[in-house]
Amino acid sequence: MTDPHDDLSPAERRAFEALPRMSEPPAALEDRTVALLQARGVLAVPLRPVAGARRRWQPAWLVGALAASLALFATGFATGQYLGARSATIAAAIGFGGSLAQRTEHVERTGSQYVQAVAALMQSRDTSDAPARERATQAALDALGAAAQEVARLAPDDPLAAAVLRGLTERRRATQAPVAQRAVVWY
Amino acid sequence: MAAPAQVESERVLAERVLAGDEAAFRQLYRRHTPRLHLLLLRLVGGHEADAEDAVQDTWLKATERLGSFRWESAFGTWLCAIGLNVVREQARRRSRRPEVAWPVDHDPPQAPPLERVDPIDLERAIAGLPEGYRTVLVLHDVEGYTHEEIGAAVGIAPGTSKSQLFWARQAVRAALGGRQKGSPA
Repeated sequence: MTDPHDDLSPAERRAFEALPRMSEPPAALEDRTVALLQARGVLAVPLRPVAGARRRWQPAWLVGALAASLALFATGFATGQYLGARSATIAAAIGFGGSLAQRTEHVERTGSQYVQAVAALMQSRDTSDAPARERATQAALDALGAAAQEVARLAPDDPLAAAVLRGLTERRRATQAPVAQRAVVWY
Repeated sequence: MAAPAQVESERVLAERVLAGDEAAFRQLYRRHTPRLHLLLLRLVGGHEADAEDAVQDTWLKATERLGSFRWESAFGTWLCAIGLNVVREQARRRSRRPEVAWPVDHDPPQAPPLERVDPIDLERAIAGLPEGYRTVLVLHDVEGYTHEEIGAAVGIAPGTSKSQLFWARQAVRAALGGRQKGSPA
């Protein structure tokens, strides 16, 4: 029943051409979409400073921060010793035991702890100790890279894990000092 | 096809989005969403809430697949193709608005081409079409797709696209003709 020569009349064509091609969706839709992408881990969640007065370092805070850091180090060291001694048990509990739901829950819990630890690093970003800041950044990135490698093994086609690994590789290349070329003699 | 400079710029933005850059995502979003929004709004028959859901889902899927996009087509075209699939998935999942099927073996309403068309009435007539016809009509007569491109995007043969376009135009003419004579469509 179709007529291949059925064309629009000039008036119909003009009417179709007069239809708009763009319309602005509600502004809230953009924010909702961004929030969803942040919740999914696609976009980074910005850590905004608290509105109001600019934070100033005071001696009491520094002493408290130092004490907290020492306590954190001591706790971490002790925990490391403990985990090292019981690695077989922990490996059984985390990697080889429990249901998939339990393992997923463990990933969520430790992921949150990682994010909190990085956020704690961010609190100290005003420090003028550049080497310490660099070490902190590197520690956070090392953990991120290790996690991305595991995600890539879990889901080889996942573009986000691939992008993270690619970005970290590029960063490593960019920060490495150029290696002097050597003449190689092949036998 | 987008200009090379814009493609390059979009490629840079896309790489920043893959690295988690919110500002880059907002730039891409603001550049492409107005066109995407109106296309999806037409495809869902003018239902604003469905169009917003579709726009959101389209961007979620686009960011998931961004790393594998090969930049062989324009970003906007690729995005609209994702949006088209999103709308079709939503239509498959949804059963709350049953549409009157337009039987293929039924004689189409015979309506001559119109000499006077009000764009607002035209928009209403498009929204009132059954989903399949609406999709083909919007893609062909509004967006300028060829039947081959529609076939590839929707998963139908080009001949089916031509057939559906014929029926869709007839239905639009019937609706507009009735409206012009003063009877509600």
